[in-house]
This record gives sequence, C-alpha cells and structure tokens, in this order.
Amino acid sequence: MSVAELLSGAQILCRVLVEEGVDTIWGYPGGAIMPFYHALPDVPEIRHVLVRHEQAAAHAADGYARATGRIGVCVATSGPGATNLVTGLATAHMDSSPVLAITGQVPRPMMGRDAFQETDVLGITLPITKHNCLISETRAAIAIATEGRPGPVLIDVPKDVQNQKTEYRPVSGVGRQVSSARFSLTPDTQHLTPPDDRVRQAARLIAAAERPLLMVGHGVILSGAYDEVRRLAEKTGIPVITTLLGISAFPESHPLHLGMPGMHGEVHVNRAIQHADLIVGIGLRFDDRVTGNTKGFAPRAAIVHIDLDASEIGKNVPVAVPIVGDARAATARLVAAVAPRRCEAWIAEVQGWARQREESYCGDLSPENIVAAIHDAAPDRCTIVTDVGQHQMWVAKLYPYRRPNTHITSGGLGTMGFAVPAAMGVKLARPGEAVWAISGDGGFQMNMQEIATMVQERIAVKMAVFNNGYLGMVRQWQQFFHGGRYSATPIWSPDYVKLADAYGIPGWRVERASDLEPVLARASAQPGPALVEFVIEQEANVFPMIPPGATLSEPIEAEPAAAAGD
Amino acid sequence: MAQALSLLLDRELLALNRAVGELRRRNLPIESLAVGPGDAPGQARLTVIVNTDDATAEMTMRKLHKLSGVQSATRFPVRDGVARELALVKVRVPPERHAELLDVCDMFKATVVAEPPEQAIVQLAGTGAFVLAFVRALERFGILEMTRSGAVALPCLPAE
Ligand SMILES: Cc1ncc(C[n+]2csc(CCOP(=O)(O)OP(=O)(O)O)c2C)c(N)n1
Repeated sequence: MSVAELLSGAQILCRVLVEEGVDTIWGYPGGAIMPFYHALPDVPEIRHVLVRHEQAAAHAADGYARATGRIGVCVATSGPGATNLVTGLATAHMDSSPVLAITGQVPRPMMGRDAFQETDVLGITLPITKHNCLISETRAAIAIATEGRPGPVLIDVPKDVQNQKTEYRPVSGVGRQVSSARFSLTPDTQHLTPPDDRVRQAARLIAAAERPLLMVGHGVILSGAYDEVRRLAEKTGIPVITTLLGISAFPESHPLHLGMPGMHGEVHVNRAIQHADLIVGIGLRFDDRVTGNTKGFAPRAAIVHIDLDASEIGKNVPVAVPIVGDARAATARLVAAVAPRRCEAWIAEVQGWARQREESYCGDLSPENIVAAIHDAAPDRCTIVTDVGQHQMWVAKLYPYRRPNTHITSGGLGTMGFAVPAAMGVKLARPGEAVWAISGDGGFQMNMQEIATMVQERIAVKMAVFNNGYLGMVRQWQQFFHGGRYSATPIWSPDYVKLADAYGIPGWRVERASDLEPVLARASAQPGPALVEFVIEQEANVFPMIPPGATLSEPIEAEPAAAAGD
Repeated sequence: MAQALSLLLDRELLALNRAVGELRRRNLPIESLAVGPGDAPGQARLTVIVNTDDATAEMTMRKLHKLSGVQSATRFPVRDGVARELALVKVRVPPERHAELLDVCDMFKATVVAEPPEQAIVQLAGTGAFVLAFVRALERFGILEMTRSGAVALPCLPAE
C-alpha cells in the first residue's frame, strides 16, 4: 500500500525519474529550473553530471541512450539553457535516440510576456523532437521516447509547477507501465505481426535472386536483431552491407560482411548494389548519403524493406515488398521462411571488384596505422565514438568492429562536436570498457570544454584528435569540387599537450607511426581521461567518393588531376 | 469571455504557423480556429475564438499584429458580433423516415446537400450551441460521420 505524500512538482519529477530507473542525468542549473535542482540532492539514486555547456548534456544523454537502449536524460534552465540543447536534440531526432530533455520555464503567469530568460522552447524544438509539451506526465514522456521508433522528447516545466505542492502516490511494479499507445502519435507497429504473405513473398524473392544483398542499418541495433540478421545471412549465404549507423550490427570479421555503402563506401560494395537483383533492407532509411542519386540507385534490384516506421517505406526508393515491423521479430520470421541457399558465385564476383584503397598518404602516420593502433590498445572491450568528417569515415571503414553496438556516431545530422560529450555518456553506461572519442581538430574544438566535466566527474574517456590543420572533409570538397579554393578551412589548434596539462590530464602528440603503440598503451593504462593528438598529413583525402548528386556507379577513386586552381 | 480575433495573413503556411505559434506560446484557451481565403488574392483569413479577458486579448492582438506575415488583426467580444460555424452531418435515413428528417432540417434551417443510398448529408450554419442542438436532434437517426468547421466572425459595431 502506498501512502500519499504532499510533494512539490520538482520532488515528484525526481521521484518519477527514480521509479523509471533513471540513474544518471546531465545538466546545468539556472533560475527557472532551481526548484528541480533543490529537490535533486534528496534522491541519491540519481547521479547528476554537471556539464560545461548544455549541448554537451544533450549529446551525453544521447550517447548514454545509444549505449544502453534506455532513456538518456538531460536538464537545462529556460531561455539560453534550453536553446543550447537544440543541436543535441536534433542529433538524437535524426538518429532515433531516446532522449528526455527537461527544461525549466518561467512561471505560467509570466509566459508569453517575454519574461527574463523566456524562450518558446516548444516552438523551437517542435520539428526536432518526437514529442514535446508543457508540463506533462514524465512517465508518458519516457514511454513516448523509448517505444516504437525511439526519439527525443522535451518537457517544459514552468517554475510555478515545480514549486506547486500536490499529493503524490508512488506507483510501483507492473501497474506503473504507461504505454505511449494512448497517444495517437505512436502506432504500435512494434507488436504488429507482418502479414505472412509478405514474408513468404520476400522469401520467394530471396530464393529466386541471383545477386541478393542484405543492407542493415541502425534499426538492427535499436531492436537488437543481431542474431536474427546473422542467421538470415548464414542460412542464405547473402552478403551483408552495413550502413554508417548499422556498423557493428554484423561482425566485420564475418566472411559474409562486405562493408559500408554510399558516398564513401568501398567501390566493390557500391558496385554490388548497382549489380544486385535483390536488396533486403533491414532497419535503414535509404538516406541520400547511402543511395547517392536515387534515380540511378540499384537499377536492377527489387527491394524488400523491413522497418518499424511505415512512413520510411517507399520514402526514398521504390519498395517491392514492404514489411512493417520490429527488425528483430520480422527478421526472425524471414529466417524461418527462407530456404537455405548459397551465393558463392555472386560473392566471388563482388570480391573480384574489391581493390586496394588508393594511398593518398605520404607519411607513415596513416589513418590505417592509427585506427589499427587504437584497436590494438583495447582489442576486446572498446566502444568507439566518432565525430564528423574525414576521420569519421576512416574509422568507419577501417576499425574492425566485432561486438554489437560498439560504433557510435552522429549519422543523420552529422553533428561536429558530438564525439567528446557523447563519449562521456557512453562511458558512464559502460564503465567496464574502454571508450574512445575520436575527433578531427575542428570538431574537437567545438566541445573540448567537456574535458573539465570528465575531470570533475572522473569520467575516463580517451580522446583522439586527428589534427590535419584543416576542416578536412570540407577542404576535400573544396579540392574536388570548388577549384581548390580553401576558403575558411585552415584551422589553428592550441597545443593539445599543454591543453591536457591545463586540465590536469595526460596528453601526447604522436607524429610517427613508431610512437603509436607505446603512447596508446600508456593512454589506455591511465585510470582517468587522456588525450592523444595525431599529427596527420594535411591534405589527405577519403577515397573513394561518390560526388554529391552522382550515382553509386560514379566514384572518384584517386586524386583528381591537379585542381584547376584560381 | 469569448473573444474573436480576426487576422489577415499572407497566404503561406509559415505566416499561419507563426500566428498559431504565438497563441500556443501564451497558453490561451482556444475554442476554435478557422482558416480560409482572405479578401484579396495572396491573403488568408484566420479567425480565432478564444476565451479570455479583455486585457490579455488586447496584448495578444498587439503581439500578433507585429508578426511577419500578419497583415492586419482585429478583435471584438463575440457578443458584439456574430460568430458562425459550419457543420456537415451524415445520417442514416431509410426512405420511410425521409420526411421526418426534412422536418428536423426545416426547424433548424438546415439543408440536405447529398443523398447517398439510405443516407443523407445535411449542412447547417450556426453558433456552436445551435450546431450542438441540431446534432442532438439528429441523433435519433443515427449519425454516421460528422465534421464541423471553426467559427468565422464579423463585428456588428464598427471595429476600432
Ligand atoms: C556543427 C557542424 N558545423 C559544420 C559542419 C560541416 N562540416 C562537415 S565535416 C566538416 C569538417 C570537419 O573537420 P574536422 O573536425 O577537423 O575533421 P576532419 O574532416 O578533418 O577529420 C565540417 C565543417 C558540421 N558537420 N557540423
């Protein structure tokens, strides 16, 4: 029997978070959220991490959510605190990550009067949240964020509501399950059984295909469909392509694994797509970075598309057999329906197209060497969080991911500055393993203030900075498509070793491949955070590359003949 | 007190979005919204019925007025003008009850606008309360579907 207590709105909010199993929140206090912060010390079950910028709170909550599959929570005050969350929420929205943002708001009687630090955060975050609302039932908000296709939810809590006393009766056990099905916004496709005829139709296409491919995306990770996808591949012998956010959903060491498709996909992977007569896509959205120009995408292939979100089906590419449902359940049904087969001739054909990557490197400190050394420093238990740019592509292509969900990156929004704060979230979610945040010199400088958070909160993230002195990916586009005019892409960096020193953490600069192993061994052995800068060749490029607007059949495979220049 | 806000907007969703966003942000109790063509090409008319005091309505008006895409904004208490909504109601009518339906329609000055087999779609314009009374009167036939517009409104007194 639970007894009713008279509690403030802020106290109730804290209680509900605890009851929902939240153990870590990321935030920054301020006027309109002070009642919440006043109540917080009374709930020792929740660890609050004080970040150095609210954007980092949102990314850290996102990283935590991606690593655990559970809700990640961030908190900010009204006005500037709330607006600082925006990039993090948009990032979580594009990558279907269950984040709960709690923002303070001015008291209700002041709303709409341009009160001090009043911002219409609901209006601002409307298109970048799965759901947002004033006040709201926190439990329902968490249910909406985590159920179905996950996504960020923001609740805006006016200060008077935080202070207002109400009777609160704790709910416990099964009775407390709130379903988002109550809210018309989440059609329950998760528990929907795909019709048998669709599954049989897909199985027939698989039996008849000569050049079939499996393409797997983030949905496989979100639903934990690893075994099902692997069984499907092994039973049919169909080679597997993993999208950027699908990386680590299928072991790279598996003989059926082909690689990453799209703009920076390997030539043989994209060529396989262009020659395929069947593509079975599981939990991906055929994003334009994957398809290139959709007019010329997979011209010979019939597409079977498994996705939880019915609005994804047919959005970017025409689909022959749509299967709406959870990737895990739907793939399991497909495994049961398919007849065993092999695809050896097809695989041999695809492997024949594989070629050595064009070496655009002069020095010995190549991305290959660096990524291999990071892997070797923590070969067994390590999660890699990457930022956005050239290094992101190098790591995606070169790191040999074996364990599920060990590659975390901002795919849909491509948010520079994501890696360092997101890695903090991942580290608290996975305290027992190494977590590397790998950034370029541009993206690292966007959120490097979070080193202070790591020090204060003892969050042992290892940071790698690929320093090429440029906003490398943009410079590469300028070299290829803008006549080599390096407008606003050279970027100065501070002395990272001294920077590390200023924060009181160890830091190293690596300039030669021979230093890789000893430095990474020492960085890994550190109990706390550590920073390693890799001084890499300035104008190295990511190959191959499909130019924007081109089809997957038109890769650039080597340095363009000396740029026209100006 | 019910207040009518009548806005002429640029005919684009962004202007509508901005105006509605301002109302939402103030957390006002909105009774109805109606959007239709404005007086000239390129204009849209947004009519909002909101339950609030004079001072709040006036402040809201001033805010709305200065928004980009809002060409003009006027306000009056609904009791100083007329506000009417439109309702379309689809009912079940077997042929033998057709006359009975027409009687009800006569009483409310409603008209039958379409007659699918064994059904009728009737149209009524009136105040919200009048529409509700009509709907209640139709219930005995069995209502299959219905849809109501938000109210449009004009002041009886010259707008200040
Ligand atoms: C917040 C943000 N601003 C701008 C961009 C555009 N952008 C994409 S990649 C890139 C360059 C990244 O440079 P750096 O962090 O040094 O990484 P590199 O490409 O050199 O590995 C830029 C500016 C972005 N993705 N995100």
